[in-house]
Amino acid sequence: MDIVFYAAAAVAVFSTAMVITRLNAVHALLYMITSLLAVALVFVTLGAPFVAVLEVIIYAGAIMVLFVFVVMMLNLGEEAVEQERRWLEPALWRGPAALAAVLLVQLLYVFLAGGGEASATAVVEPREISLALFGPYLLGVELASFLLLAGLVGAYHLGRREEI
Amino acid sequence: MASVPIEHALILAGVLFILGLTGVIVRRNIFFILLSIEIMLNAAGLAFVAAGARWGAADGQVMFIFILTMAAAEVSVGLALVLRLVGRFRTLDVDAASQLRG
Amino acid sequence: MSAPDLIALLPLLIVAATTLAAMLLIAFYRHHQATAGVTVAGLLLALASLSLTTPHIPRVVTPLLVVDGYALFFLGLVLATTAVVTALSYRYLEPAAENVEEYYLLLLMGALGGGVLISARHFVSFFLGLELLSVSLYTLVAYTRSQSHRIEAGLKYLILAGTASAFLLFGLALVYAEQGHLVFEDVVLSDPSLFLLSGMGLLIVGVAFKLALAPFHLWTPDVYQGAPAPVTAFVATVSKGAVFALLFRFFGGVRIAEQPALLAAFGAIAILSMLAGNLLALVQDNVKRILAYSSIAHLGYLTIAFLVGGELGQTAAAFYLAIYFVTTLTAFGVVTWLSTAEEEAEALDDYRGLFRRSPHLAGIFTVALLSLAGIPPTAGLISKVYVALAGVSVSLWAPLLVLVAGSVAGVFYYMRIVITMWRDPAGDEQAVSFSAGHAPAGYLILNGLTLALLALGVYPFFLIQIIERALGAGG
Repeated sequence: MDIVFYAAAAVAVFSTAMVITRLNAVHALLYMITSLLAVALVFVTLGAPFVAVLEVIIYAGAIMVLFVFVVMMLNLGEEAVEQERRWLEPALWRGPAALAAVLLVQLLYVFLAGGGEASATAVVEPREISLALFGPYLLGVELASFLLLAGLVGAYHLGRREEI
Repeated sequence: MASVPIEHALILAGVLFILGLTGVIVRRNIFFILLSIEIMLNAAGLAFVAAGARWGAADGQVMFIFILTMAAAEVSVGLALVLRLVGRFRTLDVDAASQLRG
Repeated sequence: MSAPDLIALLPLLIVAATTLAAMLLIAFYRHHQATAGVTVAGLLLALASLSLTTPHIPRVVTPLLVVDGYALFFLGLVLATTAVVTALSYRYLEPAAENVEEYYLLLLMGALGGGVLISARHFVSFFLGLELLSVSLYTLVAYTRSQSHRIEAGLKYLILAGTASAFLLFGLALVYAEQGHLVFEDVVLSDPSLFLLSGMGLLIVGVAFKLALAPFHLWTPDVYQGAPAPVTAFVATVSKGAVFALLFRFFGGVRIAEQPALLAAFGAIAILSMLAGNLLALVQDNVKRILAYSSIAHLGYLTIAFLVGGELGQTAAAFYLAIYFVTTLTAFGVVTWLSTAEEEAEALDDYRGLFRRSPHLAGIFTVALLSLAGIPPTAGLISKVYVALAGVSVSLWAPLLVLVAGSVAGVFYYMRIVITMWRDPAGDEQAVSFSAGHAPAGYLILNGLTLALLALGVYPFFLIQIIERALGAGG
């Protein structure tokens, strides 16, 4: 279990370092997703499988897709095609792909080794988290919904086309 | 088999946090700055999960879920502003937009 | 949650319900006046509900929130301020060429976030309240989005507030790793560990960012200048006041003056803020920027009350904040009155000849500036003296010295605006009408705030009694 943690940590640090040094936005995003997947693996070794799943679905899935959308919207016209050609060069996505492969191997190792049992850290089950969320943290959930509403209203107002 | 010391997980969170901070400081492209803020928030979430693992309680993970919510709300507004910025200045360079000087 | 729990939360619930009601209204019937009306009505209803809540305090509602006299006092302040900002915004936004109704939704959600911050006793409510306030403000700052400097101010605010949030969260995580629970209590140990110390350090950086205390104040002038004038008033009052109220609750009954590490950190922040705010304000030519630097200095003065801590510090801070709210609202109220969403009166030259064009408005601005400078007979003097006396009681000599020096420097830049208003206008400028004609609410409010500043300057005991009673009721 130890080795998984340290390897995932190394991947996370390396790919995060790559995120902040890339010149191309899409490369940075690929490294960012790799980094988030590595952090998800760290969560598994810390006995937090539920949060690991959320990290993959919401962070690496939803939030990063938002970034990808914006990249798409910003690169319109002819130069976008030219850029796309450069983005698809194998040399540029080989790095993130190799790192993701390392993570995959690690994930397989964790599952084959029996998952959370191998770690001495107690696993906090999704059930406990749900009970906490809808027990003492009920008001927190309500406030989080208002937070999302504020984000929604803001993005709607700022993002609307200037039609007038 | 020994478990991972919580300190090590916190060190990882710290390293990621610092990397994100470096990104916020070094980059001029607004897109990368927003990504770097995401890295910092994610590192803070990791620190909470690690701290929660130390106490074997769900609180750290609950906090992570709220951080996730906040990151989503912040990114949606941030990216909407980026679209406005590009529509207005045709650039992602934050320093290019500097009409506010005293 | 039981019925008394719900009654204790009534003001916050009403604000939340008003947000939803206003949103539904916009969905079916987009109308500026109706939306502003619903917003003000909801805020006034929430203010009225404070009296229903009073018999039930102090009360802890779920682990997240506590409603006590302290919370209710600041809640009243925040709700009243938001109502005033709403009334001022109406006239300002009327000529805007885009959808203005969502503005009020964001204002309500910002007030809700401030209210949650004020009653927070748990990291989760602290964080969620702060973010609700911040996320609403990102959009409000950039609201009239057809102007490019609004977008710039919004992005700058978002980047810096986002970074500050990350600092704050990392600090909270370290504190949690050390103490094992998320409730604010006994956070400061007599013999703090390395974890706790570094956590506190990060936390202080995050909070200082949000309060725009030096050396983390760099965003303030740009955001103050770039944001629409009524939003600037909201940032200067509700946003800072709520975070400051939280700061007191977070450190609880700890006497900061007896904690060397904290005293050094906050003392340095207070001195730097007073110096940076007052000195940089001297060289500005933009009224909004001058007011921005002045707010940095005022938060520095306020930090002295925080250093005093205990009941005396709390009373002094509550009094200072209340006066600061009224003064800032008056000053930005005048700026808002002279501006519209399309064109703002922010350059110092825009104020030339204001005494000739509109003596009434210039008089109100003068009273507000005198109060900011702390010159009698305004309330600003009393609040500054109150904080200074509180500082004397625990011998905070170095910050007090800077406070006095800063106040002297302050007189110069506030007087500069007053003198400009007497000078001849630069060009052919049309007379500004200041009458109840087309915005009776804004007219009444500006006059009322000015009267309050003068009345509290002459007879401050009324407000002090209210504060003492509120803090006495389970503070």
